[in-house]
Amino acid sequence: MVITNFKDIKISAMAAAVSNNWTALSEISDEDESVIKKFSKKTGVEGRYNAGVRQTTSDFCYAAAKAILEEKKINIDEIGVLVFVTQTADYGIPATACVLQDRLGLKKDCIAFDVNLGCSGFSYGLNIAASILKSSNSKKALLLAGDTSAKIKSQKNNNKTTHSASMLFGDSGTATLIEISESAKEINMISKTDGSGFKAIIAPYGQWRNPDDPNGKNASTMDDIAVFNFAISDVPDLLKETMKLTNSTPDNYDCLVLHQANLFIMKNVAKRTGFGMDKTLISINKFGNTSSSSLPITLVNEYGDSDEEKEIHSLMCGFGVGLSWSTVDCYINTKDILPLVHTDEYFVDGYTSEE
Amino acid sequence: MTIEEKLALLEETMEMDEGTLKADMDLNDVDEYDSMTKLSLIVMMEDEFGVKLTSDVVRGFKTVQDILDLMK
Repeated sequence: MVITNFKDIKISAMAAAVSNNWTALSEISDEDESVIKKFSKKTGVEGRYNAGVRQTTSDFCYAAAKAILEEKKINIDEIGVLVFVTQTADYGIPATACVLQDRLGLKKDCIAFDVNLGCSGFSYGLNIAASILKSSNSKKALLLAGDTSAKIKSQKNNNKTTHSASMLFGDSGTATLIEISESAKEINMISKTDGSGFKAIIAPYGQWRNPDDPNGKNASTMDDIAVFNFAISDVPDLLKETMKLTNSTPDNYDCLVLHQANLFIMKNVAKRTGFGMDKTLISINKFGNTSSSSLPITLVNEYGDSDEEKEIHSLMCGFGVGLSWSTVDCYINTKDILPLVHTDEYFVDGYTSEE
Repeated sequence: MTIEEKLALLEETMEMDEGTLKADMDLNDVDEYDSMTKLSLIVMMEDEFGVKLTSDVVRGFKTVQDILDLMK
């Protein structure tokens, strides 16, 4: 196992942003009502937020980051690391993180890059950002994670060719601020990869291996059964291994936060890990499956509006596309989890002159 | 477990009325047998029989009997 341990890294703020456009499942799909009802019962999705036509993941992450900078009165010059985790970047090149460095007004003394991970994106991103921060002379790092998983790229690029693909996902972006702090409680993580499952969730076209989709739709595919089998066996195993690192049991945690793949998966993972559904946080009903936003948006959904100031002990697992999965055992104060941000703004200068 | 008990368990898993499933039925003719029901089937088979169903095995199921044959 690859175990990562941090003794002086604090998660000091967390925010999530979505559009103002929420639609119920019945409005999204033209399937029969009975089909939608069954889908909703099994997956937990009731509706989702949709990105605006001109909005991308980076716009939501930008809004979430700005909310943190303003609310917590952060000295922007102290941020020396920016990690942007997404599978829906603005461009083929350059890395969207570079664009965000400038948009956010960070100094040029800044490490900034993109990470191409989805469902495991937040947990991996936290590991990466904290590791770089710890080994650098910087005081603070911003982890931006999100995806416009629901959005159809263009009419020529309609990759939502099954009703479940069009109904399962939602658009959002998140920001998490981490900083060096000697009083911070430990963060433990275990990370894994299994590339033999690379075809289980794949968007094979449009890059260099298969530039063109013979069907012209650039469809992505998911082997539901392979993903389900992986989720209900490998994820509980890793969560149990993570708890063993600190001799913990489910009783030691305030919440279990799982990648919001679908409700049926989460129920089975929670049961096999020994957590009741009372401690298992759910946000898929409101947001859909939000890919790399999944873990932080679920915490924002649960604690963002809470007036109570409490340090919560959270056990999290991001798992999915890759196959890639990792756990995080950490502490966050609920006063540092901001209310959900809504935005319809987008980066005008990001469009080319032909638009 | 008798065949009748196995069929009843399958009906429960697929949220179907009692007595509607027959062993010789083609799964293509069972409307309830969709992608989401297959996941419930996977959980049931593992919990009740300790049998792990892979994608290939599930893809190979043509009739109700094919599933019954693994319920041991």
